[in-house]
Amino acid sequence: MRTIIKILVFVMFVSGVLQWSVIDLSWEDFRVIQVAHILSSIAILFLLLPFIYRHIRRYYFIKKVNSVNGWVVFVLFILLIASGFYLLLVGNRGGDMFGELSFNVHLYGSFLLIILFIAHAFFSEKKQITPLVLLALINPQLSHSQEKLSNIEVNSTRSYHSEDWTSSTKCKSCHSEIFKQWSNSNHKHMVGSNPYYMVMETLAGEVEGEGFRKWCMSCHNPSALLNGHEKTTHDMEGNFLRDEIFEKDGQGLIADFKEQDNFRLEEGVSCVTCHRITDASSKGNASYTLTLERKKYAFEDSKAPLGHWFSEKLINSNPDEHKKSYMDPLYKESRYCASCHDEFHPKNGIAIVSTFKEWEKSEFNNPKDKSKHKTCIDCHMTNLKDGKLSPLRGTSTDGGVIKEDVKVHYFSGSNHFLAGLKDKKNEEQTIELLKSSAKLDVDVKDNTLSVGVTNVGAGHHLPTGVADFRELWLDVSVKDRDDKLVFSSGKLKEDGNIEDDSRVFQKVFGDENGEPVGLLFWRYKILLKDTRIPSKQRRVESFALSKSVKYPLSVEVKLNFRIYPQWTTDAVKKAFPTLPNPPIIELMKVEKEFK
Amino acid sequence: MKKLLFYTLILAITVLSVIVSIAYLTPSKVIPKYSDDKLRELALSKGLKPTPDTYKKLLELVDDASNPMSASKIALGRELFFDVNLSKNKETSCATCHSFDKDLKNKGVMSKMISSKEEQINNCVACHLKDQSGTDRFTFSQGDNHEPHPYLLNTQTVLNTAFAKHFTWSGDVNSIKEQSKNSFLAHYKMNITEEELQLRVAKSNKYRAMFDDTFEDGITFENINKAIEIYVKTLVTRGAYDRFLDGNNSAISSDAKRGLANFISFGCKGCHSDIALGGQSIQRFPLRDFAQVYDLKPNFELFPEIKRFDSEFPFENSGGFLGKDKSHLFRVPILRNVTKTSPYFHNGAVPKIREAVNVMAKHQLGRHLTLEQIDEIVAFLRTLEGNIVEYDVSESK
Repeated sequence: MRTIIKILVFVMFVSGVLQWSVIDLSWEDFRVIQVAHILSSIAILFLLLPFIYRHIRRYYFIKKVNSVNGWVVFVLFILLIASGFYLLLVGNRGGDMFGELSFNVHLYGSFLLIILFIAHAFFSEKKQITPLVLLALINPQLSHSQEKLSNIEVNSTRSYHSEDWTSSTKCKSCHSEIFKQWSNSNHKHMVGSNPYYMVMETLAGEVEGEGFRKWCMSCHNPSALLNGHEKTTHDMEGNFLRDEIFEKDGQGLIADFKEQDNFRLEEGVSCVTCHRITDASSKGNASYTLTLERKKYAFEDSKAPLGHWFSEKLINSNPDEHKKSYMDPLYKESRYCASCHDEFHPKNGIAIVSTFKEWEKSEFNNPKDKSKHKTCIDCHMTNLKDGKLSPLRGTSTDGGVIKEDVKVHYFSGSNHFLAGLKDKKNEEQTIELLKSSAKLDVDVKDNTLSVGVTNVGAGHHLPTGVADFRELWLDVSVKDRDDKLVFSSGKLKEDGNIEDDSRVFQKVFGDENGEPVGLLFWRYKILLKDTRIPSKQRRVESFALSKSVKYPLSVEVKLNFRIYPQWTTDAVKKAFPTLPNPPIIELMKVEKEFK
Repeated sequence: MKKLLFYTLILAITVLSVIVSIAYLTPSKVIPKYSDDKLRELALSKGLKPTPDTYKKLLELVDDASNPMSASKIALGRELFFDVNLSKNKETSCATCHSFDKDLKNKGVMSKMISSKEEQINNCVACHLKDQSGTDRFTFSQGDNHEPHPYLLNTQTVLNTAFAKHFTWSGDVNSIKEQSKNSFLAHYKMNITEEELQLRVAKSNKYRAMFDDTFEDGITFENINKAIEIYVKTLVTRGAYDRFLDGNNSAISSDAKRGLANFISFGCKGCHSDIALGGQSIQRFPLRDFAQVYDLKPNFELFPEIKRFDSEFPFENSGGFLGKDKSHLFRVPILRNVTKTSPYFHNGAVPKIREAVNVMAKHQLGRHLTLEQIDEIVAFLRTLEGNIVEYDVSESK
C-alpha cells in the first residue's frame, strides 16, 4: 500500500511539472497530461485521505512520534489540494488574486512537497519514475483529430468540417459580454439574417452565374465557403423563413447549438473566423489566411455536456495557450480589417470599396507619432460615451483581469439600422460614432446660401464602405421675414426617395455605357459622381436663393444620414416583407438667422 | 482493506487497458481503393445506372403501353401540373409542393421579382427555383387553404419518380397516376372532387382543344391524371454522377469517388438502388432496436453521450406517422437531389444532410461512420444534384 502511495505522489508531481511552461512540452502531450493530472488527482485523493488518517493516527497518537517534517508535509499537501481545486473549479483567469496565488502555491509548493516527502518517506531513497508507463497507457484519443489545415487562403478548394468552426456559442460561457455585443452587431448579421445581403448574393448568382457568389461569400461567409457550400442559406422554422431580423442576443444560434451541437455549420463571421486569422494583407477581397488548426484543450470538442464543462475548467486553470490561440498582434493593425474592408472587382480589378486606402492617405495613419496614429479598432472597437471615445474599463472574460480599454465588439460603423432592430445599446454606439464624424457651417452672401461640411472625425471618406448605397445629404429649409418657405432642398419624395437635385454625399457607379448600375454594383466601370468628403476636408455646397427674398432669413440645415436608399429597401422588401424602412438619422442641425 | 483497494486498482487498470487495446487493435473495415474504371464497373455491376440523356432512351426505360408517352400528352400534363385553378380555393397546384419553375430556361426569377411593381409575400421561388432541381426546404407539406398534412409528412420529390416502383412514404401507391388522383381528392392537398375538376378543366378552351388532340374520350378524371403522369415521367435529372457513370472520370471529385465506394461497400446501395437510387422497395426503419430508446455513443471519451430519444424513431416523431400498417415500413426515398431538399426523413425532423447520413448509417447499417466518411458520402450525394433534363421530345417517335 505504501509503495502505491509513493508511486502515485510521484506520478502527480511529474505530471504536474511536465505542464510547467519551462518544460515546453509538445501540445499534444500537454493536453493529455493536463487531463490525466487532474483526473488522477481526484482518484488519488480518495486513496490518500484514509491512508493519511491512519498514518497520523498510528504514528502521532499511538506511537507518539512527533515528526515536524511530517506535519509540514501534511500542511503543504492540504495547501496543494486546496489550490488545485481552486485552479480546477474557478481557474486562473487573471481577474482575482486567488487564481494567481493558487497557481504559484500549486507549482512551487509541489517542489517543496516532493523534497520534504522524500525526506519524510525515504530519507535518502531515489525517485522511481516507472509509473509513467501507466499514464501512457491511459491515453485515449481525446477528441477527434484535426485535419492539417494550415495556411489556407480563402480561395482554396479544401473543405473544413462544420466541427472545425467552433460555434460562437461556446465562447459565450466565458466571454458573455463580448458575445452579446457581437451577437447583435453587423459582423454577426452578415448572412442569413441580413435581408439586404441575401437579396444581393442571390442576385449576383443569378446575373453573373452561381459561381460569382464566392466573391461575396469570401468575406461574408468564409465558413460556408471553406466548407464547400455554394451559397449562403438562411434558417428555417418549420415551413417558414425564420424571421431573424429582430432576433436578439444570438438566440437562434444558441438554440441551434443546443439541439445539434457543432454538427450544423455556423455561417457568417463567427468568433473563430476573425480570431483564427493568422495573416492578412491590405490587398482586399478576403486577403487573409485562415488557420483553424489550433491547440485545443482536452474535451474541447466533446459533445457531452460534462465533457464540455470540463474543457472549460481545463482552459481556465491554465489559459495561456487559449489566449495565444485567439489573439495576435496583427489584430491591432489596420491591414487586418483591410483584408475585407477594401474590395475590388474580381475580374477587372476596379476598386469598389477603398476604406483602407482612404485611411492610409489620411492623418490618422501616422506611425511615426504614436499619439496621433489611429487604427481601425481605435474608433470602431472602442466604447463611446456621450459622443466621445471613452475606453471601457472592465474585463473581456468573466472574472478575468481588469483592462483599461476593453475592445468592444459592437463594430460600430454606419449601419445602425440592422443592429438597432436587435439591440438599442448597439445602435446608440453607432449613432454616436456617426454624429462625431462631421461638422456643419452655414453662411449667406449675395443671395447664395453656402453650407460647409467638414469630415472631422473619420479617418476615411464620409461616407465610406459601400458609399454607393449610403445616403448622407443636406436637408435645407430657408424661411423669409414672413415665415414663408422660400427655399428647400433634400426633402423626401412621396415614395420615400430623396428629391432629385438634392446634395447627396456619395459615389454613383455607372456601367460601361455610363448608365447607373442600380443594385448591380459589380457592373461598375465609370464613376459618374463622387461627392464624398475625404478625411479632415471641407466640402462646400452652394444654393442660389431668389433675388427677391425678404431678409431676415431663417435658415435651417440638417445633415441627414440614411443607411440604405428607399429604392434599395423597396427591392429587398419584395423578398423580406417584414423588413421595416431604415430611419433617417439627423447627424447635425444648424439654425441661423441672416439679416 | 488494503488488499481490497490494491486489487480494485489493479482490476481497474487491467479493464481499462484491455478496453483501450481492443479499441486500438481492432482494424477498421478497409474499403479498397478503386481505380476510376474499377469503381464505375463496380457501381454498374451493383445496379446503379445513369439517367437517360435522350428522349429515345427515356422512352425505352419508362414507356408503358397502358398510358403511352406523346408530345401532346406531355404538354397537356405540364399545363395541368402548374395550374392553380385545379384546387378548391384556386391557390394550389402540384407545383406548390413539388416546386420547380415551369419554364426550364427561366434564370432570372429574382431580378424579375424585385423589379416587379406588385407587392409580393415572401416568395421562396425567387431564391430557390432558378436551378431546376426541385430545391425545397419545407418541413411538411401544406395544401389548399394552407392545411398541413395530417401526419405532417415532408413532400417527397416527383423528380425521377419515372424509375420508381412504389410511391409515397408508406409505399402503398403503385403508380404516379394513382397518386395524382389521391392528391386531387385529398382535403389537405388539392381538395377538389372529380366532378368539379372536370368542370373546371372543361371551362377552358385551351384544355378542351388539348384533350381532344390527346385523348379519344376527351376530358375525364382518368385522362387528367394520365396526362400528369406522363409529364411527371419526363421530369428526370442528370448530374455529375451520371456523367461519371457514362465514362467521364473527371466529372466527380476524389472525395465523391471515395463516397461512392463507401456507399456501395457499407451497403447503402442495397436499398437506394437502380437509376433513381431509391423508390424500388419498402423497408423497415429504424432497423436496429438498440437505437430506440437510448443512444449511447462509444466516442472514447470519459463522458459518453447519452440521449433520450423518441421511442419510435431516432428523432422527434412530430405528426405521429408510423409507416405502412403502422409497422415502421417505409418506401425507400429517392436520393437524387437529396442534398437540395433539407430537412430530412418523413417529418423533416433532421435538418442537415450530414446528420441524416449519420442516422441512416447508425440505425440501418449499425455503423458509426467517422466524420471523414460522412463527408465523403455527402460529397457523393452532391454529385447526384442535377437540373431537369430538357428532352427534345420531337426527336423520335
